[in-house]
Amino acid sequence: MLALKNWDIDLIRSEKRTLLGFFSLYMILCLIILCFFTFIYYSFQKDLLLQEKRVELQNYTSDFTLRLKDLHINFDKYKYYPRDERYNSAIFDSDKKEIFSTLKSKNVDLKKVIYLTQDDKIHFITQPESYYLGTKYVVIEISQNRNWIEELFDFLFYFNGSIFIIMLIIGYFLLNILIKPMKDALYLLDRFIKDTTHELNTPVSTIVSNIEMIDKDNLDEKLKKKITRIDIGAKTISNIYDDLTYLTLNNKIVSQNKNFDLSYILKQRLEYFKTLANVKKIVFIKEIQENIFIYIDEKKISKLIDNLLSNAIKYNKIAGFIKITLKKNSLIIEDSGKGMTKEELENLFIRYRRFDKSVGGFGIGLNIVSMIAKEYNLEVVFSSEINKGTKVEVKWQK
Amino acid sequence: MAKIIIVILLTLCFSKADIYEQNCVTCHQQIPVSIDKFFYRYLLKYSSQRAVKVALFDYLKEPSKDKTVMPEAFILRFDIKKASTLNDKELKEAIDIYWDKYQVFGKLK
Repeated sequence: MLALKNWDIDLIRSEKRTLLGFFSLYMILCLIILCFFTFIYYSFQKDLLLQEKRVELQNYTSDFTLRLKDLHINFDKYKYYPRDERYNSAIFDSDKKEIFSTLKSKNVDLKKVIYLTQDDKIHFITQPESYYLGTKYVVIEISQNRNWIEELFDFLFYFNGSIFIIMLIIGYFLLNILIKPMKDALYLLDRFIKDTTHELNTPVSTIVSNIEMIDKDNLDEKLKKKITRIDIGAKTISNIYDDLTYLTLNNKIVSQNKNFDLSYILKQRLEYFKTLANVKKIVFIKEIQENIFIYIDEKKISKLIDNLLSNAIKYNKIAGFIKITLKKNSLIIEDSGKGMTKEELENLFIRYRRFDKSVGGFGIGLNIVSMIAKEYNLEVVFSSEINKGTKVEVKWQK
Repeated sequence: MAKIIIVILLTLCFSKADIYEQNCVTCHQQIPVSIDKFFYRYLLKYSSQRAVKVALFDYLKEPSKDKTVMPEAFILRFDIKKASTLNDKELKEAIDIYWDKYQVFGKLK
């Protein structure tokens, strides 16, 4: 994600979720493969160990069977079960019923030939050539040192850990390869906007400054109307220009934070948007408390207010109203527009997302609002009702 | 009362033992190979209680050279025995007594 920051590109939530999903899936797959190979390796090592012990166990079995045979022949004379300090043993009949046992591990699996028990004993099962004393199965048991499994687990832990980290790094590079086309497309778009705004700078500044210099009082009514329209158009372009500049240069602008009189700034911005609102016969209802101060960059808070007001005008109905309330820790802008659906509200801050294509704009306004809010820990809460209007509440810490 | 019960139990035990003693041991006493040797031969061949009892029952009902566990020399000398005259229930009782007498479970030290 670091690479994305360097490119000045924000991925939207669903894209991030997809990438995270892909990465998780990749890591789970790696884990499954690792577990599979661990199991194979463990089984292989266990088989190797059992094979090493097999010869020793076969010798013990031969010795035991001879002694069992002797006991069978002389059972009427003595009844002492053959014992040996090197191993334990047990005998079972053809119905797998235990005849006698000196085994330490009582769980015997007569279907297997050789296996390791849970309590670190090796069981070796054979069938003698005849059923001496009814014995069909002879089980020989020896103890196995626990060290081997601890060493094996240590090895597997470090080996798998290293492989997992390598897979993690490979996964990161794979992810970058995967998102490269997407990054390229977003970069191209940003680059285009950057170039366009650069070219717009001079003409927009010229129009705005020249309109401001015109003395409107000395003009006749018809020309005044025309000039007002040019003024609105120029302000709209200027606003878009400001947005695009902010967006493309945001990370490079150093904030100049000061304690600003928000009441004054808000009034100024309302004055600026008055012409725009008049065109749609929208009325401003102001409930602005005086002397509300906020520690912020002036340009950024103006941008935030501009975007909220601009949207409130843009999506409002003809002859509607916009209620602006400024209190100690909040700014509320309510409009009487068409409102938004729940889904639209969820995707509000996504760049280039526009809900109503009949009105102008690039879909970057609220993205800027979200960026500024994030920078200054402002809480922006939207609530909306279809055909009634939208309410935006910006809250900040005391 | 207790005495009566003991007497009944003893009578039952002896009557059961009688089937084996009267019908098996008496005949086997006439041959030089003791009856326990037959048992261990059955054990050597059939292993479990269930298999040994089934094999004994089959052989005693219809003795034949194919079913015998004894070596050929023994058969040549003593021949195959005649089929048992006991009914199935009595024969099974006699086999049970025979098994209990010579089986190895619980006898190993």
